[in-house]
Amino acid sequence: MKKILFSLLAFVLCLPASAGLRQKQANRDTDQFRYEIECAGNAIQGTYLVKVWSYSKKASVAENQCRKNAVHGVIFKGYGGGQGCVSQRPMASNPGAETQFEEYFKSFFADGGEFQKYASIMSGTTETVKVGKEYKVGVVVSVRKDDLRKALEAAGVIRGLNSGF
Amino acid sequence: MKRCIFSLALALVALVASAQIKKPELMVIPSDVWCINNGYYTEVENLGTIVKVPNYKQALQENMGLKLAIAKLNDLMAERGFPLKSMEQELKNLEQRRMEDNLTTSKAGNDLAESPLDEVARTAKCDIILELSWDVKDMGPKHSLSYILEGRDAYTSKSIGAASGTGAPSFTADVDVLLEEAIVANMDNFNNRLQAHFEEMQTIGREISLDIKVFANNEAGIDLETEFGDDELIDVINNWLQLNTVQGRFSMPYASENVANFTQVRIPVYDERGRAIDANGFAKSLAKVLKKEPYNIPSKVMVKGLGRAVIILGEK
Repeated sequence: MKKILFSLLAFVLCLPASAGLRQKQANRDTDQFRYEIECAGNAIQGTYLVKVWSYSKKASVAENQCRKNAVHGVIFKGYGGGQGCVSQRPMASNPGAETQFEEYFKSFFADGGEFQKYASIMSGTTETVKVGKEYKVGVVVSVRKDDLRKALEAAGVIRGLNSGF
Repeated sequence: MKRCIFSLALALVALVASAQIKKPELMVIPSDVWCINNGYYTEVENLGTIVKVPNYKQALQENMGLKLAIAKLNDLMAERGFPLKSMEQELKNLEQRRMEDNLTTSKAGNDLAESPLDEVARTAKCDIILELSWDVKDMGPKHSLSYILEGRDAYTSKSIGAASGTGAPSFTADVDVLLEEAIVANMDNFNNRLQAHFEEMQTIGREISLDIKVFANNEAGIDLETEFGDDELIDVINNWLQLNTVQGRFSMPYASENVANFTQVRIPVYDERGRAIDANGFAKSLAKVLKKEPYNIPSKVMVKGLGRAVIILGEK
């Protein structure tokens, strides 16, 4: 009986730890650009509509990570166009911006960080594909790019169009 | 002491205010091809050839799509801190000013002094032209919109960047909706190129064109081949440009005894006192050097905007 109780307790204690590990892995995947981003159609003014594919051993972690990846992709990766969609360059034109402003982005992309303000998942758009031992989850995300740009300009990460004038 | 501190603070504020680069003015105009395709042109005979000249006023008065496109572009540019100069308003102001000038007389009955050149200079002007065109293509019941927005430096005629593309075909959306969608979707790409242009300007200087001309039979009796020591006047000007342009960047595609054209002249955005300068300020610095010993050449500097200047040597 004691053995069963001990095993149950160990299992309950391990659950959040393993979820945290998965989240950490998902964050590392984002750092290494291990996600795909594509245009998902024409958005309303001030926003981009993108479809982001994220990878994780747990589908729910990948789905949550999609918001972070969408904002990360808009800032550092950009995305291709086609079929009536217009391709967009990354918001940060300086390729070294992520390293240069490492501290800023560390807190910006932290779990529950500021990035959340600029991305919202479009409900009913989730697609899940099992790839080997992990899941590839695709979600359409609306990114408030005008507000995001203003925040990055205010932080000095990117320059405004009228800076210097 | 208080007065001293106040003066110092005032000087500091003035320096900070003047340390801003002169901001270029942007204006959207419909492209020639759009005007001609939509019937907004007048035919003018030029040396026996019929030339189609865009009629911007008619286009702005009659085409709702154009007005919508300009309003949308203005909205998006204002959002980025760059409100556009309105071509429609500029044309109206010109007419108004022309009317006022025609009616202005002194008490003695004298009209305003105006040279033919002043008359020619009275056109709608800006520093960067945003040329806009779009076309609707029908594929059976569907239609799609092709869109081009091209930015051009008004003085050097160089393309600054363009955004273009064809939207997704649609059964239902009308042209105005497709146009608005195209503008919104393409604007960031266009602004990226515009920003790259501004950053380049801030790094390697403003690109201008400079023309040097000579008044015929001038009082100073000089032309560009007049010798000063071992150098001809054109060499003196070349040497001055070499020293005063950013990294000695300029080219001289044409020069004769009477005319020299300098293009791709990269001038610093600030002078040695930290004040913002443009083509006019740069040309005036050269004119001041030529006015002094040993050259003693009077000249006339003509203002053509932020990016073009003309110096006419020999007389005022």
